[in-house]
Amino acid sequence: MLEIRDLHATVADKPILKGLNLTVNPGEVHAIMGPNGSGKSTLANVLAGRDNYEITGGEALFEGKSLADLEPEERAQAGLFLAFQYPVEIPGVSNMEFLKAALEAVRTAQGKEEWDSVTLLRQARAACKQVNLDASFLKRGVNEGFSGGEKKRNEIMQMLLMEPKLALLDETDSGLDIDALQTVAKGVNSLRSPERGIVLVTHYQRLLDYIVPDFVHVLSNGQIIKSGGKELALELEKKGYGWLTGEEESA
Amino acid sequence: MSLSTASSLAIDLKTQALANARRHGSAGDALAELEAASFPERKSERWKYTSLQALADGHLNAVATDEIRQPLPALSEFLVTINNGQLQGSTLPAGVNLHHDAPTVNGLQTPFAAYNGAVCGQPVVLEVAANTRIEQPIHVQIQSASEAPAHCNPRVIVKLNTGAEATVIEHYHAEGQALTNAVTALITADNAQLTHYRLQGEQANTLHIGTLIIDQQGISKVDSYQLMTGNRLRRNDVRALVNKSGAELNMKGIFVVRDKSHVDNQLCVEHAVPNCQSDQNFKGLAGESGKAVFNGRIHIHPGASGTNAELSNKNLLLNTGAEINTKPELEIYNDDVKCAHGTTVGQLDAGQQFYLQSRGIPAGEAKRMLSLGFVNELLMALPHPAVTEWAQPWLEAELTHASPAGDAA
Repeated sequence: MLEIRDLHATVADKPILKGLNLTVNPGEVHAIMGPNGSGKSTLANVLAGRDNYEITGGEALFEGKSLADLEPEERAQAGLFLAFQYPVEIPGVSNMEFLKAALEAVRTAQGKEEWDSVTLLRQARAACKQVNLDASFLKRGVNEGFSGGEKKRNEIMQMLLMEPKLALLDETDSGLDIDALQTVAKGVNSLRSPERGIVLVTHYQRLLDYIVPDFVHVLSNGQIIKSGGKELALELEKKGYGWLTGEEESA
Repeated sequence: MSLSTASSLAIDLKTQALANARRHGSAGDALAELEAASFPERKSERWKYTSLQALADGHLNAVATDEIRQPLPALSEFLVTINNGQLQGSTLPAGVNLHHDAPTVNGLQTPFAAYNGAVCGQPVVLEVAANTRIEQPIHVQIQSASEAPAHCNPRVIVKLNTGAEATVIEHYHAEGQALTNAVTALITADNAQLTHYRLQGEQANTLHIGTLIIDQQGISKVDSYQLMTGNRLRRNDVRALVNKSGAELNMKGIFVVRDKSHVDNQLCVEHAVPNCQSDQNFKGLAGESGKAVFNGRIHIHPGASGTNAELSNKNLLLNTGAEINTKPELEIYNDDVKCAHGTTVGQLDAGQQFYLQSRGIPAGEAKRMLSLGFVNELLMALPHPAVTEWAQPWLEAELTHASPAGDAA
């Protein structure tokens, strides 16, 4: 479903990804780990189509289509979802109004039945409940005044509603306490299915205790330098990244 | 029309205005004021962003008389309708008296206001009786229409006597090439409370030159909400005289300019006595080649100690061809005052836009949502649901127009 071949990308003209290869099949959960600055978040943002993140070589295919040819909204409509590391606040646009516009666009593009406002509200409330977010958050501005943990749970809530084919989670665990981490993990696990791919970008092994990956990849200097099963994450936890990158990790 | 320089246009306008006034039988103070007024030159500071060149089409040479094709919807059971400057009819509650015996309007400054005073034969005065509370808003519909360039001079005076409480929706609509040269005055006595709306959505080729005077003669509270879109030429001179200690004035507004439309807001709050409060909070949006001006002045006179005055004007430019000129102007002759002001001009936040797009929302729709979000706080603050219900689709339509899908700016 996701085929990344020899991907090179720059951020504001600075080369960050330098020949990355990755294949994600439906039903698989992949974890991408690596030290700070290795290109983890860049990969997530390149795939989602953020401005200034430019593919300069190789290709990233989603269900056979080149992502580079698609606008960010077209990628979302095709079934790609990015849970942001730092979700932005949008005062003046309510969460509910935002969800309505997003779901309308995505469901229409995917040929799914449109939700009327009653269905939408019922679904949104259920999704809120699933991630322990009070339904009153639906009326507030998008992420406006939310705590770090609430923003992350809001991302997962959106993901539950959008039912993406491929979910990319960019450091969704950062800044979460253990309770919130479990809530988020439960939300993600509920989406695991044979049709869906999940890519977790994370710095720490902690999240992987709760969302057990099928594959773990280590990203360093813009390339995947090692891949393995879930046991690789445990090894990294013990030995640090320096064991693979040959550098002392400062963080 | 031959090429005319700004100065000869100013002279032409004055000649036309005076001829009309004399033909109209104007005399006394009103005529004297017009005789003393000079029409603005391009280099005049107060008019530097607004050209009157459109008036070279001869609007002052004819009076608007066409039928209103798309009259405004009624936003209340109580209505006053003024078409082409003439009172058409009214339905008013007990306690509100409509008459034509207009009090003097203080604080008028522009030549257009003087002209209005000289030729407006029948000012509409809405007087609310003392200690009377009018629950329902009074919807004053001020409509103009003319296929060819022509003008009209509506004049509305709202007077709240001691302890009166009312809501007045001043609502403009214009068609064709009509120039609406309007004067509105709000006069409040002690313990009066007035909620005022000024809604201005006129067709693209119309012109509007309007003066709003808020004259707080008593300890009173005035809340004024001003929503406007641009047209070929829109000039709003708003002057508030906060004239009795303890008076409070709140003005909030939204202006939207799109295509080649124009809005020039000149606001001035005069604090002449101690211990009054004023707040101005305006938000502007400009798209395409729209051009908006906001000049917000707070003038605190000697002796007006304990004044608390605030001014905020935040603006959003939707693309590179649009223009917003904003300037706060503080003139303070006093130490013991609290005065805050801020004006900004920004663009849509790229991070916010990407967030919406990353959830499948098309770029144009994302822009529209963010633009509406920018002014939503003010829209939600409107206290009357009937106005909000009118304003929401009106604003959404304006913003949809102002940010066409696929505009990548």
